[in-house]
Amino acid sequence: MVTLIVDNKEIETQEGSTLLQACLDNGIYIPNLCYLNGIEDPPGSCRLCFVEIEGYDQPRTSCRVKVQQGMVVRTNTEHVRRLQKTAFELLLSTHHVECRNCPANKKCELQRIAKFLHFGLKLKRLEPLERDIEVEHEHPFLEYIPTRCVLCGKCVFVCRKRNGQPMLSFAKRGFDTVISFFGENDKPVDVCNECYACAEICPVGALLVKDSPNTSNPWKRGSFNDKGKCQTPLK
Amino acid sequence: MNLSARTEEKVMFDHIASMLRTYEKKRENLMAILQEIQGKYGYVAPPALQMVAKHLGLSSCEVYGVATFYNQFRFNPPGKHQIRVCLGTACHVRGGDIILENFERKLEIKAGETTPDREFSIDRVACVGCCALAPVAIVDDTVYGHMAPSKVEGVILGFEIEKERKEREKQDSESQE
Amino acid sequence: MNLKSKETLIDVFASIKTEAEKRFGKIKGDSNQNIFIGMATCGLASGAIEVKRAFEEALAEQKINARVISVGCLGHCYAEPLVIIDKPGFPPILYHNVTPGKANLLVKAFLRGDDPVFEHVLGAMEENELIPTVMEFPRFNQEKRVVMGKCGLIDPEDIYQYIAQGGYSALAKALTLDPEQIIFEVLESGLRGRGGAGFLTGKKWQFVEDAEEKGKFVICNADEGDPGAYMDRAILESNPHQVIEGIAICAYAVGAKRAIVYVRAEYPLAVKIVQKAIEQARELGLLGKGILETQFDLDVTVFQGSGAFVCGEETALIRSIQGQRGMPQPRPPYPAQTGLWGKPTVINNVKTLASIPPIIEKGGKWLKGIGTKKSPGTAIFSVVGNIVHAGLVEIPMGVTLRSLVFDICGGVPNQKRFKAVQIGGPSGGCLPEQFLDTPIDFDSLTEAGAMMGSGGMVVMDENACMIDVARYFLDFTQHESCGKCTFCRIGTKHLLDTLERITKGKGRDGDIELLEDLSIDIKEGSLCGLGKTAPNPVLTTIEYFRDEYEAHIQEKRCPAMMCRELTAYYIDLDKCARGCDACVGSCPTESIFTTRDRKKAIDQTLCVKCGECMTACPSEYDAVRKVSPPELAPKIARPEEG
Ligand SMILES: Cc1cc2nc3c(=O)[nH]c(=O)nc-3n(C[C@H](O)[C@H](O)[C@H](O)COP(=O)(O)O)c2cc1C
Ligand code: SF4
Ligand code: SF4
Ligand code: SF4
Ligand code: SF4
Ligand code: FES
Ligand code: FES
Ligand code: FES
Repeated sequence: MVTLIVDNKEIETQEGSTLLQACLDNGIYIPNLCYLNGIEDPPGSCRLCFVEIEGYDQPRTSCRVKVQQGMVVRTNTEHVRRLQKTAFELLLSTHHVECRNCPANKKCELQRIAKFLHFGLKLKRLEPLERDIEVEHEHPFLEYIPTRCVLCGKCVFVCRKRNGQPMLSFAKRGFDTVISFFGENDKPVDVCNECYACAEICPVGALLVKDSPNTSNPWKRGSFNDKGKCQTPLK
Repeated sequence: MNLSARTEEKVMFDHIASMLRTYEKKRENLMAILQEIQGKYGYVAPPALQMVAKHLGLSSCEVYGVATFYNQFRFNPPGKHQIRVCLGTACHVRGGDIILENFERKLEIKAGETTPDREFSIDRVACVGCCALAPVAIVDDTVYGHMAPSKVEGVILGFEIEKERKEREKQDSESQE
Repeated sequence: MNLKSKETLIDVFASIKTEAEKRFGKIKGDSNQNIFIGMATCGLASGAIEVKRAFEEALAEQKINARVISVGCLGHCYAEPLVIIDKPGFPPILYHNVTPGKANLLVKAFLRGDDPVFEHVLGAMEENELIPTVMEFPRFNQEKRVVMGKCGLIDPEDIYQYIAQGGYSALAKALTLDPEQIIFEVLESGLRGRGGAGFLTGKKWQFVEDAEEKGKFVICNADEGDPGAYMDRAILESNPHQVIEGIAICAYAVGAKRAIVYVRAEYPLAVKIVQKAIEQARELGLLGKGILETQFDLDVTVFQGSGAFVCGEETALIRSIQGQRGMPQPRPPYPAQTGLWGKPTVINNVKTLASIPPIIEKGGKWLKGIGTKKSPGTAIFSVVGNIVHAGLVEIPMGVTLRSLVFDICGGVPNQKRFKAVQIGGPSGGCLPEQFLDTPIDFDSLTEAGAMMGSGGMVVMDENACMIDVARYFLDFTQHESCGKCTFCRIGTKHLLDTLERITKGKGRDGDIELLEDLSIDIKEGSLCGLGKTAPNPVLTTIEYFRDEYEAHIQEKRCPAMMCRELTAYYIDLDKCARGCDACVGSCPTESIFTTRDRKKAIDQTLCVKCGECMTACPSEYDAVRKVSPPELAPKIARPEEG
C-alpha cells in the first residue's frame, strides 16, 4: 500500500495504481472522460484530469501518473480549474446540446462535469463550431451521433477488449475525427447484436442501440444503461 | 458507371488480390500495402481496404481508420491530370493561394476534387522543394515555377489542346481503317 | 574487440578505400574534364535535366571527351541549376543559373576553347590566380559545413566517391572502439538533437545503451513535415552515406541490430537514393551481417511516411511504423525505454546522425570548438521568403540573425524593408527587427519566443501581414492536428476561426484577449509537441505586432495590404493612359472595363485582388493603386452597354 496526500487529506491506495484511480477510489472526484479502470497505457486524450503535484511546476494529467509514496497532490487549484474549464468549454463548443431529447440525460458524464466545475452547458466566450459530418457507414444495430461524441475512445477500447478486433474505430483526422463502422456489412453482425459493450460504455449519448425488430437488444433505443459509469458520488 | 470503367475496376481488384499474396500476413505491412495500391492506381477503393483487412486479419474498420488518417491516401479515382498547387511557406508568401483559387475557378472544382469528366483533379501540397521558384504548381510531373494567375488558363488550355489533338489523331486513324 | 579482428577490420577497410581511390582517381585526378550538375529536387525543378541533356549533346556534337556527373545539392537554390566544370589547367569553376543555351556556350567556349566565359561564372571552388573564389562571397565564407560538407560535390549514387573523400572511415574507427568510448565522444561534443528540441544526443544514446532489453532499434527521423524546410531532403539526396554511416555508428554504440530510415513519401527521389545507398553499403560489407568482418550486424531499411506532419513526433512515428494511426502517446515512457515494438529505441534527426561521423573522426572536442558553449556545432536553415539568396545555409551556432539574413543571404530584395522572420516553422515564432542581433542557438531562440524547430526560416518584408502569417501557420497545424486531444483538436480550430475572422474584417473587441488566453491554455494543456507549440506564431505576432491586430479589428484595415477582404485595387484615372489596355488581358476574372473616356477601371464586384493588373501596368503610367480599407477605392460604374 502507498499513502499520499490529496487536498490535505491522507489517502491509501494500491501500489502501481494511477493517481486518478486512487482519487476516485477514495471519493475524490476529478473530471475525466477517456480513462477506464484497468486500461493499460491510458490515452490521456481528454485533458480533463489535471492535478498539481508537488515538485512539478505544471499541472499533470492524473490518469498518466502512477502513485508514489508521499506524493502531495492538489486537485482544485486555480491553475487546474482553468485548464479543466477550457478543455470542457472546447468540448462543449462542438457538442450539440439537447439534453431533453437525449437518452443520456441525467446519466451523462458531461452534465456531471458541468455541474462539478460550476460551468453549465452554455458557451461563454467561444462560438459553437459546426462540423458537417455525414455518418457514412450505417450500422444495422447501432446508431452513432457525431455531434455528441467526445472522442474519448472508450468504445473502441472495450470492443477490442471484448472481441479481439474492434468493430468500430477512429477514422479521419484532426477536427474531422469520428468513430466509424466501416466494413459493417462484411463481418458477423451477430457479434454486435450480442455485445453492445460500446453503447454501454459511452459516457455521453453518442452511441445508441437502434430500435429495430432484429436487435436482441435488452435496452430499447432511448433507454440507457449506466454500467461502466464512474460510481463515485458527487460532492 | 459505364461498362469499361467497371471492367477496369475488376482488373484492378484482381491485381490487388495477387499483389496481396506477395505480402506476409503481418500488420507491419499495412502501410506498405496501402502505399503500393495508392501508388499504382492513384487511389485506394473502399473494397480494396476490405481486401487488405482480410489479408492481414484485421477488421475492415481498423484499416479504414488507419488509411483515413494519412494525407497520402485518396478514396476516389483521381483525374487524368493531377494539378498540385504548392501552399508551402515560401509559396504562400508569394501568393500560392491565389494560384490555387484560379485553378479552382477555371476548373470549377475545389482542392481535393476531380472534374466530372475525370480529366483534372486539384490538390494542395506543402513545399515541394523548389521554394526559390515560388509560387509553384506541379501538373503531373512538370513543375511550373514562378506561376502567375494569368498563366493558369494557359496551363489548362495546353492540356485541352493536347487532348483534342489526340482525339483528332485517333479519329483520323480510325477513319483511315 | 580482440586485437586480431581489429587488425582484419583495418585491413578490410583499407582495401575498400584503395579501390575507391582508384575509381575516384579516374574521375578526378587524371586529365579528364568533368562536368558536375546539381540534380537534387531543386535542380531538377529548375531544369537540370534539360541542361544535362544539352551538355551531353554538345559534347557529342563537338566530339569532346568529358564526363557528366550528377551530384546533389549545394544549397544555393537561388542559383540553380548549378554546374561545376573541372578542367585541367583551371580551378573547378562554379556556374549559376545554367540554361541549355549556356551549356552549349560553355562547351564551345570553355571546353573546346579556353575561355571560362567570365560573365556566367559564380566563382572558383579553389584558390587560384585567375578567378576569384566563391569563398570571397559572404554566402560561402561565413558558412561552416560540418553536415553538408560533401553535399553537391559528390555523386550520391556512387558510394566510392564518398569513401574516396574519407567516408566510412569514421565507422571503421568506431568499430575499433568500445561503445562506451563512442558515447563518451558524443557526450563530450555536446551535440544536441537537430530535430527541434535540442536534447543531448549522447545522453539519449546512453539511456538506450544502458537498457538491458534485446532487439533495440535506431530510427532516423526524416519526416520533415515543416512546409518551408527541406534540408533533410537535400542531405539525403546529396550525401546519403554520411547519414547511413552515422546510423551505423549509433547502432553499434547502443547495441541495435536494426535501423529504419523514416522518409516521407512526398520525397520520392530521397527514398530512391537512400535505398540505393543502403544497397551499395551492404554490397561492400559496410552494412548487413558481420560488418567489415566484425561481429557487428546491422540491417537498415527505409520506411515511407504517408504524409502526416504529426508523424515527425517520435511516439506517433513509432505508431505509424507499426501500422497504426499516427497519434502520439503521452511521454514518459520515452522511446529510449519503450519504443518501436516496445523495444528501446534511439530516434534521431537526419542532421544529428550526419554530424556523428565527423565527431568520431575528429573527436568530440573538435565539435565543441564550433558554435557556442551550450549549442556546439552548426545549424542548418532553409532560408526562404522575401530574400535575395534563398537556399540552404549551414552556419556555426551563435551567428546573429542579422548576419544570416543580411550578410549571408543578401537581405530583402526590391529595396523593401525587412519586417520579421519566422523561425522554426509552424512551431516557431515570428521575430521582428529588434531581435536581429539575437544569436542563433537553441536557448536564445527559445527565449525570444521562437525556436530552432525544423530550421525553416521565412524572411518577410514590409508587405507581409503578420496576422496572415499567424493564420497561415495555424491553418497548417489545425489541418495536421491528429485529433486525439481536446486542446489541440478543438482549440486550434477556434484560434484559426478567430484569426480568419480578423483577416476578413470581422474582428471584434476581445478577440486579441481570447486568442491570448486560448493560446496559453492550448500550450499547457495539449498532449504532444504539436499542440504545445502550435500557438507560438499567434502569441509572438500579438506580442510584437499588436498594432496590426488592432488596425484589422478596429479600423478594418490591413496595414500591409495583404488581407484581400480588407484591400482593393483601383486604377488612377489621372495616370491611366487613354487607349492603353496592358492590364485588361492580365486580369483572370475580366474585371477591367473601359470607361467612357477610354481609360480603364476595375469592377470591384469581380476583382479577386490578385495584383496582376498592377504588374501589367507599364511603369511609365504606374496607374494601378492598392488601398486598405477597400472603401478608399473610388467607385466607378461600368458604362451601359451600347
Ligand atoms: C509535431 C512534431 C513534428 C516533428 N517533426 C520532426 C521532423 O520532421 N523531423 C525530426 O527530426 N524531428 C521531428 N520532431 C521531433 C521528434 O519528435 C524528435 O524529438 C526528434 O526526431 C529527435 O531527434 P533529435 O534528438 O536528433 O533531435 C517533431 C516533433 C513534433 C512534436
Ligand atoms: S450527451 Fe449529455 S450533454 Fe450531450 S445532449 Fe446528451 S445528455 Fe446532454
Ligand atoms: S462514441 Fe461514446 S464512447 Fe465512443 S468515442 Fe464517442 S463519446 Fe467515446
Ligand atoms: S497535441 Fe494535437 S497532435 Fe498532439 S496528440 Fe493532441 S491532438 Fe494530437
Ligand atoms: S487585381 Fe487581379 S482580379 Fe483585380 S482587377 Fe487586377 S488583375 Fe483583375
Ligand atoms: S482522463 Fe486523463 S486525460 Fe482523459
Ligand atoms: S514552399 Fe512551395 S516549393 Fe517550397
Ligand atoms: S539548391 Fe538544392 S535544395 Fe535548393
